[in-house]
Amino acid sequence: MWLPFLRGTRVLSPSPAELRTDVASLRRVLGYRNGEVPEVVSTLIDEILPEVPPRIKIRCGFRILPTRSVSISHDSFSCSGIRFSSGSIIAEQLRKAETLALFVASIGGMLENWSKRLIEEGEPLRGYIVDAVASETVEAAAEWLQKKIESHVQRRAWKITNRYSPGYCGWSVAEQHKLFSLLPKGFCGVSLTPSALMIPIKSISGIIGLGPNVKRAAYQCSICDLKDCFRRVDEPVAALNES
Amino acid sequence: MEIIVPADNTLESLMLCIERGKINAKSPHPPDMKGQEGADELARKALDQGIPPQEVLSKSMVVAMEHVGVRFRNKEIFVPDVLMSAKAMSAAMEHLKPFFKSDALKHRGTIVMGTVRGDLHDIGKKIVAMVIEGAGWQVVDLGSDVSTEKFLSAVDQNPGCAVGLSALLTTTMVNMGTTVQKVKEKHPGTKVIIGGAPVTADFAKRIGADGYSADPQGAVEFLNTHCL
Repeated sequence: MWLPFLRGTRVLSPSPAELRTDVASLRRVLGYRNGEVPEVVSTLIDEILPEVPPRIKIRCGFRILPTRSVSISHDSFSCSGIRFSSGSIIAEQLRKAETLALFVASIGGMLENWSKRLIEEGEPLRGYIVDAVASETVEAAAEWLQKKIESHVQRRAWKITNRYSPGYCGWSVAEQHKLFSLLPKGFCGVSLTPSALMIPIKSISGIIGLGPNVKRAAYQCSICDLKDCFRRVDEPVAALNES
Repeated sequence: MEIIVPADNTLESLMLCIERGKINAKSPHPPDMKGQEGADELARKALDQGIPPQEVLSKSMVVAMEHVGVRFRNKEIFVPDVLMSAKAMSAAMEHLKPFFKSDALKHRGTIVMGTVRGDLHDIGKKIVAMVIEGAGWQVVDLGSDVSTEKFLSAVDQNPGCAVGLSALLTTTMVNMGTTVQKVKEKHPGTKVIIGGAPVTADFAKRIGADGYSADPQGAVEFLNTHCL
């Protein structure tokens, strides 16, 4: 089945004001899951956040693959003849998808460079917090993009799965190369190193399953095998859209 | 208001300042130590009191950073707390630098550290480097995306050093194997420790590394046990 509304790639550039930095999540990423955040850390967060908007260049894009080019098995999926060994954790979540959206979200390299400079200049704490803010900001960009994709397919009463990225849930980061081979060169200003590292580093890529019978779960860390992931949450804390 | 610290308590106070991340008298953190002398002033004071630099380092500063490393491992404190302690340590260390230069004070040893070829992640390795420095070791930080040749050259220039390799990606941790192999071929006695998110003790063993640590304090313990 080929649906014209799904055709092509799209690149969107939300303004920084459209992204909400989740300060609670930021504190969690810094380690303070339950305890009190030191005043000096809170003060630094308050000082850094207003300086972020001029230092980010957000670019988000996606490509929805033709349904006929996608097939999903118990431990892998194929797009346009390219087989992705995602492992069974992800393949299971995609099982009911009609097709997939490939996506990239990036905030550019300025925050990353600012962080490095601060650390080199003897401000490691400020630099570390800037790096954490950059990570949260790109997560917010990916979240924003995911909602756009959701709205896009809702017009046909389709739903979305959670987003999945190479490097997580047993999917090798090396397969980033395959994913980018299905996107235009330099998509959203992101390039790959031979070791599959995205440049700028503060970028997220991945896939989202689409279809009338898929659903987005509120809590996903329990299915992932990255037990020491810095983003891991032990219990549901985010109210995501339950489809 | 300046709180006068009794002379015999100087080392203890210095230790507390480093543990709590109290850099100097001006620094507002931690709030309950506002206005008090920090690591900067207390290190100077200890030396002015005639306490030998080696004693200042080993009986106060190194002990403080060891406490910090252990508390971090136990998840009682977090990366920002470690960084504040490291900065306080660094402020105190400034006063000891002249003694290192004149050879009156010696580092416990040297470790050459770097994130391996193909990997640009640097922050985690820098945090480990700060804790290792705080334990009295000299760190030669080669940065990120470091080739095997650069590691070999640094080992040539620092005879007897240990080597620490970091990687954050499964695609780059494989490059650790080549570096370990080449270092061992050229300098068979060199101890190599590895770390990073995807790395495990099993992987370390497979590639011939001598040690693996999931946290900075583990790296310090490895060095103190195997490289002194």
